[in-house]
Amino acid sequence: MNKFLLATLLLTATATQAADHEMGHMHSHEGHVHDTMVDGQKLSVDVERFDNFVNAVPGDQVVVVSVQGMVCDFCARGIEKTFGKDSAVTKIDVDLASGKVLLAYAPETEINRAGIEQNILNNGLNTTAIQLVGK
Amino acid sequence: MANSGAQSDNIYWHYTPSIKYSLGLDYQKDKISGEAFPSARLTYLINRKNTATSQRNLYVKTGFGLDSSDNHFYSLSGDWETRRLFGGFSAKQVSGIGYDLFEQRVKLGVAPYLGAYGDLHTWLMIESKKDDLDNKRITYPVLRFFKGGGLIEFSYHKKTDWDIHLMYRF
Repeated sequence: MNKFLLATLLLTATATQAADHEMGHMHSHEGHVHDTMVDGQKLSVDVERFDNFVNAVPGDQVVVVSVQGMVCDFCARGIEKTFGKDSAVTKIDVDLASGKVLLAYAPETEINRAGIEQNILNNGLNTTAIQLVGK
Repeated sequence: MANSGAQSDNIYWHYTPSIKYSLGLDYQKDKISGEAFPSARLTYLINRKNTATSQRNLYVKTGFGLDSSDNHFYSLSGDWETRRLFGGFSAKQVSGIGYDLFEQRVKLGVAPYLGAYGDLHTWLMIESKKDDLDNKRITYPVLRFFKGGGLIEFSYHKKTDWDIHLMYRF
């Protein structure tokens, strides 16, 4: 019983630490995180991928979009194509594995969350969360 | 999209104005009747359900001959897929192309590895088909590869020989 309790505590501590690291890492880049959770779910990103993306667009605002239904390259390609037509978007990264789309905008750009959701919807997919980082 | 098989060869071009429907033109050379059938086609998405890890679709499709409206088909098809698993079915009624045909298909697949966006993706699949031409079910392996906008699919059965399916999304 004691071993079970100890194992549970260790697992909980590890999970908490991993979550803190994930979110803490995001904070380390921008100082502020503005959350808009459509479904109340907590966001998570591939930290290395996120770092690479942010480092490639210093000073830009980064939007993390959580997408449902993005299960193949055709879906991902459609998303990339749609946002590629938007001149306000300075960089796009589609992460099929985590169902996330990373978008970069110039610092002065007003982010149109409804427009982002509509673009995702036009590709037959659903947005569950939009998180703006770095403004 | 191009398809070459034991029953027919066809080339299909379609445009998708919205996720709900697509319009297309199809040119089919039927190997049973020996005739060619140009047709206009409509695909309508009845329902789509997205989750964080899956997508499920239900479609109706129909096509009418450009030279004769006696040539037509309609079908109901559906699929469900995750990045790892695929399942799909179709039921299709074809009329006026020299013979009538009702065909049912079921396809199951598994991705042996999960590629990132832009990688070469591979699916190992199995398809089972039954039509009322010979009223006998045949089951055969299918190998699907896709990368970027391109998809190629091979299947083989000793009775129907090779079936090759090519698709490119612009």
